[in-house]
Amino acid sequence: MATKVKHYHELINIKRERVVPVEGDVLVRRMQKVSPTDVIVVANMAPKFLLIDIAQGLHVSPSKADEYLHRKSGEDLVRGDIIAGPVGVLKRVIRAPQAGKVRIAGEGKVLYEVESTTYELQAGMEGTITNIIPERGAIIETRGALIQGIWGNGKITYGIIQQVSSDMLQELVPEQLNIGFRGAIIIAGFLRNPDVLETAGNIPIKGMILGSMSSGLIPQAKRADFPIMVIDGFGRKPLNKAAERILNANKDKNVALNAQAYDPFLGNHPEAIISHSTQTDLATPPETEALKAGKAVIIVNGLLASSIGRIEKIHPQKRILPSGISTEVASVNLSGKETVEVPLTNLEVIAE
Amino acid sequence: MTTSPMDTTNLSAKSALAVDIGTTITRSLLFDVVSGRYRLIGVGTAQTTAGSPKFDVTEGIWRSMEELQYFTGRTILDEEGVIIPSTQDNQGADIMVATMSAGNPISVVTVGLLDNVSLENARQLAQTSYTNIVSEISLNDRRTATDRINLLTKKRPDLIIISGGTNNGATQSLLSILESIGLSSYLMEESQRPHILFTGNEKLQDEVKTGLEKISKLHITPNIQPVLGYTNFSPAQKELNEIYNEVRRRQSGGLREVLSWTDGYLTSTASALGRVIRFLSEKYEPEKGVLGVDIGADNTILAAAFHGEETLRVFPNTGVGGGAAGVLERSSLADIKRWLPVKMSDNLVRDYIYNKSAYPNAIPTEEDHLEIELAVAKQALRQAALDTIPSLEKQIDSMGILMPAVEPIIGAGRILTEAPQRYQSLSVLLDGLQPTGVTTLALDQNTVLPGLGALAEINPLMTVQVIESNTFLNLGTIIAPIGVARPGTPVLRIRLYREDGRMVTRDVKFGSLTILPVAMGEKVSLHLRPLHRFDIGMGGPGKAGKVNAVGGVLGIIVDTRGRPLQFDPDEEKNIARNETWRKTYQKYT
Repeated sequence: MATKVKHYHELINIKRERVVPVEGDVLVRRMQKVSPTDVIVVANMAPKFLLIDIAQGLHVSPSKADEYLHRKSGEDLVRGDIIAGPVGVLKRVIRAPQAGKVRIAGEGKVLYEVESTTYELQAGMEGTITNIIPERGAIIETRGALIQGIWGNGKITYGIIQQVSSDMLQELVPEQLNIGFRGAIIIAGFLRNPDVLETAGNIPIKGMILGSMSSGLIPQAKRADFPIMVIDGFGRKPLNKAAERILNANKDKNVALNAQAYDPFLGNHPEAIISHSTQTDLATPPETEALKAGKAVIIVNGLLASSIGRIEKIHPQKRILPSGISTEVASVNLSGKETVEVPLTNLEVIAE
Repeated sequence: MTTSPMDTTNLSAKSALAVDIGTTITRSLLFDVVSGRYRLIGVGTAQTTAGSPKFDVTEGIWRSMEELQYFTGRTILDEEGVIIPSTQDNQGADIMVATMSAGNPISVVTVGLLDNVSLENARQLAQTSYTNIVSEISLNDRRTATDRINLLTKKRPDLIIISGGTNNGATQSLLSILESIGLSSYLMEESQRPHILFTGNEKLQDEVKTGLEKISKLHITPNIQPVLGYTNFSPAQKELNEIYNEVRRRQSGGLREVLSWTDGYLTSTASALGRVIRFLSEKYEPEKGVLGVDIGADNTILAAAFHGEETLRVFPNTGVGGGAAGVLERSSLADIKRWLPVKMSDNLVRDYIYNKSAYPNAIPTEEDHLEIELAVAKQALRQAALDTIPSLEKQIDSMGILMPAVEPIIGAGRILTEAPQRYQSLSVLLDGLQPTGVTTLALDQNTVLPGLGALAEINPLMTVQVIESNTFLNLGTIIAPIGVARPGTPVLRIRLYREDGRMVTRDVKFGSLTILPVAMGEKVSLHLRPLHRFDIGMGGPGKAGKVNAVGGVLGIIVDTRGRPLQFDPDEEKNIARNETWRKTYQKYT
């Protein structure tokens, strides 16, 4: 049986596509080195338009209105520019209420795009531009550590990681946060106290990486001004050892935290990337792998969720679980300690 | 406008492959003639590969067919793909159909004139497929043309559904909205322009074509509501299915290959389910309706049909996998917890639901975890039923909250088919749907409904014969009177006559769940006399009658718990009551 691969890597080749959903101007070139805060594309994500009814404004028929129209498609307008008129004794005119560019003009109407704020898409990670996607963005590649999460609040940042406590099962409480964490991306085991989010926002911290979080905090976490990534899921559970090892090894290093929402169909995961300057050629890990004896795995559901182990054996016969469900299971040795039987559907391979 | 590429019947086809590409599982089913009648030969399953990282449905199909080959011993695949038509040495199959539900819902903006008339029609049409309504436009919203243009260019929907105006109705109001839609489409990049489905005033069709055809992917169907008081969704529903397929083809690779194997026959799973339910309602007991439900990982579907009139509703992000969190977000934790037979903390239940959404393929290892999943399934179905009942052809109460009598109710979905105990499947259907009168609860244990729905158009005989081949598992006959009484009051007198002449009389009290032990397949005759003017669907309150019934896995279940089910505000008492009902089921399992 093939399963998804969970990505916790100390050193790996990481390739990410960073694009905008509409046409934009790509500001980078191939082989350019970028830092996380470099803008790679600017785009008008939500252009604003204004439709002006010339005929109605001039009190003439739509066909007649075009005779008084002075603007055509593509022309720039500044505020107060006369678009149409004058008409009649009162010399009625239509003026541009805002600056912009005419997109359509005719049949008694003018539709123009008013000036609006453009969106700047940042690289979000250190790396090299290896490919340009015309009018959309670029592919960025780097080498470094990668930790995938299971939930993110949709925000992105870059900063130094700092551990709040060495105990990754410990609950994060407001008293543990102080001014020393200002501007840092903090790592903690478990969060359920909403006051922590307020305290963290006041310091302010730059981001938060959690082993687990109470799902009751989801609404507040979505509203937080800083990115939050949850690695192992909801409810108190220890941060998995693979992620913990990588985070410990990279204390005080810069991390690019992209807490994008998890979308299993598109394969978008929240993730933390810590770039390393190495020239070693590294393979890109697969996205799916077969479950078989010897594979390192993480348990994703049940009482042992977030535990890491290694498959000893896949049983040919189905087993009946305490829930009563009959299913295929594997014997998984938990980090050299006990061996437990886990349904194959509750395992994901950890790429090595 | 496109039409179904295979609209002629193909009765000569002896064998058929039906593939269903679900959110998490792809199934391949093989049907063939055995002893002169069509039968289900085997099922193969594999994980769906429509999304990341493969984005190609063919691998999942291929693997499911490999499993099918293994189980049936029949060669279905060769180096070039699926063997269609079958060879003389019985390899492959004569025809193939495919249904699909995998993928994120398609984003829709609905447009109508008035909120409760044409906009409601557009909304109902959208709900017949896997859609997410991201915004609505109507004359009531007081938006200016500029507002509408900015809304549409910001939302960038996959589809705009326009409804409104009877064929003799006003045209100017709709034309002004159409102008905004045309301008916004023009402003979008060509590749991002939405499909536009016009289902409104037929007098505007020429103007719609002139204005929108060159700047959008335009689809025009007959008016959903040509005159006041009459609606016909069928042509628009069919076109929406084609649009769904087109959008999916852009998102997932391999569908062109599937279309070549199926001779173009690809439909949404919901649409196929709707079709088979409509087909059944025409074929069997036309005086009663037929109801089909599918509780999937991401979506819940309800399809009902009365006299061949179909009501289809798809509830995206409402399921027991990725859609579990959606059920919680649409209702409340208390709404889910009220179904639990054991005490659990709010945090435990909510955390489990969010974890399940993150790992939809994971299965519950503990008994309590399974109870949470069953509770989510009940709530998903309850929400779906309450949203669907008001639009059914038949209504039995003024508030539109009671399920009218249907026969049978067929349930599908892994939570039902893979539940360890059959009473668990039955209780999800019974509590979620709360049927009334006398009905049969059946389980589509091999998930054949979508495939049979797709095949019904090509070879209806195959659909009929497979259904008649006991493909559905009879969970039990349900007797559920409507009425209110004090708990403990006798509300129904039952006389059960067995074929050997034995007779049993039972007075059933209000507030209880009673199981009459009738063996699986045993035919009995029931004389039902409602007391205290309870209504058993025999012609009115207090009216008695006789029905023939067949014992299911759990025999015959008399549900006098009331309609709709009432819950005790005291959580402890509610849990105790659920536990009592669970024990009643377990006694006869």
